[in-house]
Formats: sequence, structure tokens, C-alpha cells
Amino acid sequence: MIAAAIVLVPLAVAVALLLAPRRAVHLPLAVLGVVATLVLALFADGPAGRLDVPWIPTIGAWIALDATGAGGALLRVAALVMLPTVLWAALRVDRHAHRFLAALLATLAGVAGIFLARDLVLFYVFWDLTLLPGLALLGGWGLAHRRAALVKYLMYAVAGSFVMLLALLALRPLSGAAGYRFEELLAATPQLDPLTQAWLFGAFMFAFAVKLPIFPLHAWLVDVNEQNHPSGAADVAGTLYKLGGFGLFAWALPLLPDGATLLAPLGLALGAFTAVYAMAIATRHTHLKRVLAYFSISHMGIVAVGLFSLHLAGQSGAMALLAAQMVTTSGLFLVAGMLHARRGSFELDAFGGLAKAAPAFAAVSLLVLFGGIGVPGLANFPGEFLAVLGAFAASPLAATLAVMAAIGAGAFGVNLFQRLFQGEAKGAPTRDLSPLEVAVLVPIVAATLWLGIAPAANLTAFEAEAAAGLAAAPPPVVLELAEGGAR
Amino acid sequence: MTLPPVYGDLMPLVPLLVLLVAAAVTLLVGVFARGPVPLGGMAVLGVAVALGFAVAGFLAGVAGEPLPRTLGGAYLSDGLSGALSIVILLGSGLTMLGAGAHARRMRLDHPELFPLLLLATLGALVLVSAGDLIVLLLGLEIMSLAVYVLSAWREGSRTGEEAGLKYFLLGAFGSAVLVYGIALTYGATGRFDLVGIAAAGAAPGFASGGLLLLGAGFLLVGLAFKVGFVPFHQWLPDVYTGAPTPVTAFMSVVVKTAAFGALLRVASGLTGGLGAGAYGEAFTTLLAVVVGATLVVGNTGALLQSGLKRLLAYSSIAHAGYVGLAVLAGGADGARAAATYLLMYTVTNVLALGVLNAVMGDDDQGDRLERLAGLGRRQPWMAAGLTLALVSLAGFPPLAGFVGKLAVFQSAIASGYVVIAAIGIASAIVAVVYYGRVVVTLYLHDPDHGVVGVHRSAGSTFALVLAALGVVLLGLFPGWWLDLLARAPMVLGGA
Repeated sequence: MIAAAIVLVPLAVAVALLLAPRRAVHLPLAVLGVVATLVLALFADGPAGRLDVPWIPTIGAWIALDATGAGGALLRVAALVMLPTVLWAALRVDRHAHRFLAALLATLAGVAGIFLARDLVLFYVFWDLTLLPGLALLGGWGLAHRRAALVKYLMYAVAGSFVMLLALLALRPLSGAAGYRFEELLAATPQLDPLTQAWLFGAFMFAFAVKLPIFPLHAWLVDVNEQNHPSGAADVAGTLYKLGGFGLFAWALPLLPDGATLLAPLGLALGAFTAVYAMAIATRHTHLKRVLAYFSISHMGIVAVGLFSLHLAGQSGAMALLAAQMVTTSGLFLVAGMLHARRGSFELDAFGGLAKAAPAFAAVSLLVLFGGIGVPGLANFPGEFLAVLGAFAASPLAATLAVMAAIGAGAFGVNLFQRLFQGEAKGAPTRDLSPLEVAVLVPIVAATLWLGIAPAANLTAFEAEAAAGLAAAPPPVVLELAEGGAR
Repeated sequence: MTLPPVYGDLMPLVPLLVLLVAAAVTLLVGVFARGPVPLGGMAVLGVAVALGFAVAGFLAGVAGEPLPRTLGGAYLSDGLSGALSIVILLGSGLTMLGAGAHARRMRLDHPELFPLLLLATLGALVLVSAGDLIVLLLGLEIMSLAVYVLSAWREGSRTGEEAGLKYFLLGAFGSAVLVYGIALTYGATGRFDLVGIAAAGAAPGFASGGLLLLGAGFLLVGLAFKVGFVPFHQWLPDVYTGAPTPVTAFMSVVVKTAAFGALLRVASGLTGGLGAGAYGEAFTTLLAVVVGATLVVGNTGALLQSGLKRLLAYSSIAHAGYVGLAVLAGGADGARAAATYLLMYTVTNVLALGVLNAVMGDDDQGDRLERLAGLGRRQPWMAAGLTLALVSLAGFPPLAGFVGKLAVFQSAIASGYVVIAAIGIASAIVAVVYYGRVVVTLYLHDPDHGVVGVHRSAGSTFALVLAALGVVLLGLFPGWWLDLLARAPMVLGGA
């Protein structure tokens, strides 16, 4: 029952926000919704964390939810990130703020559904549904060129998800599975012949590549981030919805192992190329949000490299990195929003020397940025390390490229910090963090530290699921070394 | 209630009689009554009563009662006719709810309006129940004659008259082709009933396969005219645009459902008769090509439209292609998928055209997209309703249109038509562009025209709310409908 509540509570709060007339209740209501979701996710253990009722029996679709596995772990991170985002959005969005908050809550509900769904049709429903609040955020509160960005986003997303729909619908008739629940599919689909699997896996891979995103299907993200509301809150919603990596991890890779083996080299190549290429582009941009977009695409390349290593450490590392970048990328977008609140611009040239007037702001930003570039002890490091480690077992070349991207990210991150916060002070002196901004950043900082210092709890959940998924292929020997490195 | 067998066998005809009585009463009252009479209410009441009988008959079949044998098997009442009768009566009732006020506003409220709609509905019921090619032709003509008149309802309007003439000429041509196909089929098999055709073709020593294939081709072409398959679709955008908006809604749901019911049966009988050999393969290949072309042409054609009504006309061609996937899949599973799709399409399209009807100008013009810019701010409920319908038409979960797509694609893939299904998915991606463009216009473009008035009556509002609820609830909980269909006996034409 808790599993159902995790999805329904934020959805109900979103509807309530649309209808609530009084301004004063909007923020408390939204915060309450997020906190309730988070608490429910934390206590979703044992049978209460699972739900299994028939939905459309003739099609084989079930309302099957499970909050106890890897999806539950990721959801806790997502809900934690949503908390400061709601606060910040309520502060920064002037026009129809309650609708903005409703869209954020709807995103949380959709993301929760994606994480918890253990039925492929249900997963697809949430996958598509979560697109709508994202489009509403962009269309309703975006900047001048949002229409073009919106159409681009819609096209990429729909192309991906409809191709997935075709593969999904073919999955059951071709394999003869009893239904669309994960266990039912797992009992049948790995027995499909490798070529069929490769076709189906290719379709899933296409859909998930759009939403990782990796080259060459990443172009929509940069425009969307640039055109989103300058608070950065909408970008956080977008970041939480970049779940292609999770889709591969939870569905495509375990269900179609032979197809995955055939297409893994392509995935590795695209992932490694994306990591390096996006990082190179990030250095050439001067618009902070575009920079951050490419920065996160580069991380997604590493996620892809870890997943397509078809290796236990690589895959669980990829999920850990996905969770970590939810925190760090979201944190950076919120920081960008705070910078915009001070200078009214995202151009890097508008900034410089902020550290003098705002030392606390600079320190917190540095911490989040360090978390993002994979400094040991902070959020991204364990995942990045394991993903690359797994990649070395599969393809030293791809792993080397991923390492180069990580190193580049480090150098670039430091450089970015210098351009924003150090050097000559430009323009009027800025204020330091307000109490509300502190409240916004505390969960981000806490999560950055938590995921860096104590990644073991999440990694155990990821590893258990990755191991189940990789059961078809013999587990590689590097496993122990990987665990040693993580802890 | 136990009836003597002969009466039990005539029970399926009761909905027809109810509609006939309703048509006669509304006509007489309309002509002779002084002062305004709620003809629309009477007509909807007739449809509702007929719907009650249709539901009872359908549920009796689901419960496993023996199927009545009406008119010696010429009038079938299996799961397909039951389900499609329900869809037809639902679509007919929902469109009639808004038709009366529309006609008054356009000064087109002649007393023949509702009788004609009722007669067309009657013909549609006959069409989906025909177990015999003669009955099929009868149903088709009853329905078409009424709709010819209705499509030309906008007197004094050039486009309206053009629409009526075009529909009449091409429809008559389609009927002629169909009659020719019936004659050829009879020549090949000596039978009019679909079961007999299937049996004759399957009998050992059957030597007229070529002739039967020719007849099948003509039958397919004749029905393709009615459902709007490419390349027999050219009349459709003009007629849909020229006809009064409620009539457009009626045509797009009732006429389409009825024609597909006939097509499903005929295709089933013919594939049974043609067998699995070269002739059967030629027929399914022909059908597959037509369906694939319909999907592509419908969806790309809609991309180029600047009027919403015309856009929905092309979209209705495309949706015929999706139902075509189920026809292609064939058999009981295909029939179930088609019935599901048609139900979902009916509630969705009634909603879309109902909103359009409410925002049209007084001359039934004004569906240009620019005129609807900014509707989201001016008429939030109307814009939300239209958006809901378009999102459902685009196939987004968890709305009705998604369930329909799920059903037809799964049946097509299960029958091995993966390539056509892939074409369908590719064209569905294109479809999102034009539906999305409308939604973007509603919400993100600034209104640069005068205020768009909204015309509502109690009936049309009720219909809109009902359709909107249907779009959402059928999308969330489609299980019961699919379950009923799975338990309903599907005789089709061949079994």
C-alpha cells in the first residue's frame, strides 16, 4: 500500500495545488507533499513496499510497484532533491507559482512511478506521463525561444517513447510471456533468439539514449535547459526525469541479455564519445545553463559506459552515478538560479569575484561543484569510479576516454569556479546567502556528503539488482576489487 | 424471461425498431407541431432506449446464452455486432446532444435533422450485424442515403453543397463497386452469406479462386470508400470540412464504426473463402498495402493543414489506418482490438469535435488555427477539453487513445505484421507534431483575433463532460471492456 501512496500522494498534492485558492497554503502544501513522499519512500520496506494488482488482464498489464529495490533507493534521492527545489521555486516564481509547484509535484509523482513500476506497460505509462509536466514547465514559464525548444523536446521524447512502445508491444507476443510484469518477462524474453533480441534492445536503447541523453540524441536537452525558467527549478525537474540509464538498468539490459551483448560495443562507443565530446563542448560555451547541460551530458556518457560494460561493478556504479548527479546537477542548477537572482544573467562574463562579497555562497557552490566533478568523498566519486572500473573490464579504450572526460571535468570545474567566484569583482557587490537560500542548499549539501561518504547502502541495492540482471552472463572476477574500492 | 424461440431470435431487431419509431415520431412531431418541441431530447431518448437493448443483448452473449439466429443467420448478433452497436449508439447519442442547439444557431433546424440522424444510426446497426452481403448492402444504403443529405445540410454554403455532392457521387460510386463485388463473389461461390462464402471457398475442388479474389478486391474497395482508406479517401477532408460540425462528428464516429464492422466481417469471410494459398495472400497483401498507405498519407496530410476541422479529417484517415491494423490482424483478436479502438476513438473524437463545435463562429466557420490562438487563456475549460482530446488522439497514456493503440498494435504484432506496425508507430510520431502544434497554438500563441465566443447548451455541455470523463476513465480502467470483449462470442463472418 505504501508503494501506491508514494505515487498517489504527490499526484494528489499536485491536483490540490491547482485547485487551492489561497497563496498562503501553496508552499506548505507542496513541502508537505514532498516530505510525505520522502518519508513514505524511507519506510517502504517489506511487503508494504510492494503492490501487485491486475490492471488490464487481457493485455497482461499489472499495477505492480516495488519500492524496496534499486528504484526505491533512487526515488529517495529524487524526493530529497525535490524538497529544496520546491522551496526555491516558491521563492523565485512570480506568475502562477502554484501551477509551477503542481508541475514539480507531478514530475515527482511520475518519476516515482518510473522508479517503482515493476510492470513494463505501467513503466511506459509513467515514462510518457512525466513528459507532460516538463513540457508545461517549459511552455508556461520558459524564456522567449521556448516554443522551438519545446517542439524539439517533444519530438525527441515522443520518437523515443513510441519506438519503445513498439518494442514493448512486440515483447510479449514474440516471447510468449504470461504478462508484462518483470518476473513474467524475465522468464521468457531472454530465450528469444539473439537477432530478435538485438532488434528489440535496439529500440529500447534508442528510447533510453534520448533520455540519458547521449550523442547523437542529446541536442534537445541543452535548448530546454537554456529556455527554462531562470530559477533553475524546472531544470531540476528535467534532471530528475533523465532516466534513460535507469530504464536500461532495470528493464532493457536484464530482459534482453543477448541483444545487450550484441549492441554493447555500440553503447560503449557512444557513451565514451559522449563523455569526452560533451565535456569539450562545455568548455566552449559562455551561457551557464548550457555549460551545465553539457556538463551533465558528459556524466551521462559515463553512466552509459558503466551500463554497457555489462559488468556488475560498472552497472551498479552507473546507478550510483545517476543518483549522485541528480543531487549535484540539480544543486548546480539551483546555484545557477541563485546566481541569476543576483546578476540577472547566465553569461559567464557577467560574473567574477563573487567570493569576496559572498564567501558562504562560494564555499557551498564549490562543494557542490566538487561533488559534481567526482572529488573523492563527495557524491559523484563512488559511482564514477565503479562505472569506469567496470568499463576497463569491457573495453580499456572506452574506459580511458571516460577517465579523460572525468579529468577534463575536474579541470573545467575548477576553472568554472574561478570564473564565477574569483578574480576581479564585476558590477555591484552581491549579498551572501539569505536564510532561505541556506535552507534550499542544506539538503543538497547533505546529500552530496551522504552519497560520497556512505554510498554502501545504495550500492548494495544496485548491486543486488545488477547481479540478478547479469545472472545470464557469468559474473566477472573484478567484483571484489570493485567492492573494495567503493568502501 | 423465456420467450418462444422465434421471438428470442427477433430480439436483436428491437434496437432497430426503437430507432425507427423514434425517427417516425420525431419526423411527425417536427413537421406538425406548432412551436418549439425538444426533438433532440426525443431522439436521444430513442437512442438511449436502443442502447439499453443493445447492452442487454451484448451482455446476454457474454453470459454465454446461445446466440439468437435472426432471419436465418442473415442478421448476426455476436460479440462484434453487440460491441459495435454500443459504440455506434454511444457516438450517435453524444453527437445528437449537441446537434439541436447547433442547428438552431446556424438556422438550419429543419424537422428532418433528427429523423435522418436516427435513420443513419439504424443503418449503421444493420451494417455491423450483417451476416449476408445483401443485408450489408441494405444497411450501407440506409445509412449512406441519410448521411448524403446530412452532409449537404448547410444550405447556401458553397462548401456545404460541394461536400454533399462530392459525398453523394463518390459514395454512390463506392456502392456501385461494392455491388459489383457482391455479384462477383456470388458468381464465384453461389452464396451471399459470409459463412457460406467461407465454406464454399474452403470446400475441396473449389476452382473459382481467381473470381473470388476479384470479388474480394471490389468488396474491399467499396468498403474502403466508406472507412476512408487511401487511396479512396479524397472525398473525406472536403466532406468533413463542408458538413455541419455535429454531422462531421457523426460521420467520423458512427459511419466509420459501422463501415469497419462490415469490413471486419467481410474480410473474415473472404479470408476464410480464399484460404491460405496464393489468393488469400494476395488479398492480405492488398489490405496491408492499403493500411500502410492510409497510415502514412493520413498523418502526413494532417501536417499540412491550417484548419482544425480539416486537420481532424486527415487525422481521422490516419486513425482508420490504425483500425486497419486490427482488420489486418483478423480473427477474433483483431475484432476485439478494432472494437476497443473504435470505442476509444469515438469518445475522443466526440470530445474534440464537440469543443470545435462550441468555438465555431455563427456561420460554422472559424476553425483556423490562428483564430484559436490563446484559447487557453480566454476559454480555459474549452482549451483543456480540446487538449485532452488531442493528447488522447496522439496516443499518450493513460488516456483512451493509448489503450486503443495498445490493443491494435498488439494484435497486429501478434499476427506477424511487425513491419506495418512499425510504419504505424513512425507515423504516430509524425502525428504528435500536428496535435502538438494545435496545443502550442492554444496555449503559447498570443491571441491576435477578437474574442472567440463559446456556444453552449445544456445538452452539448453534458455531452462534452461525458466524453471527457470517458477519455480519462476508459484510459485508466479499460480492463472491464476488454474483459467483456474477451468473453463475448465472436462469430464474425467465417466461423
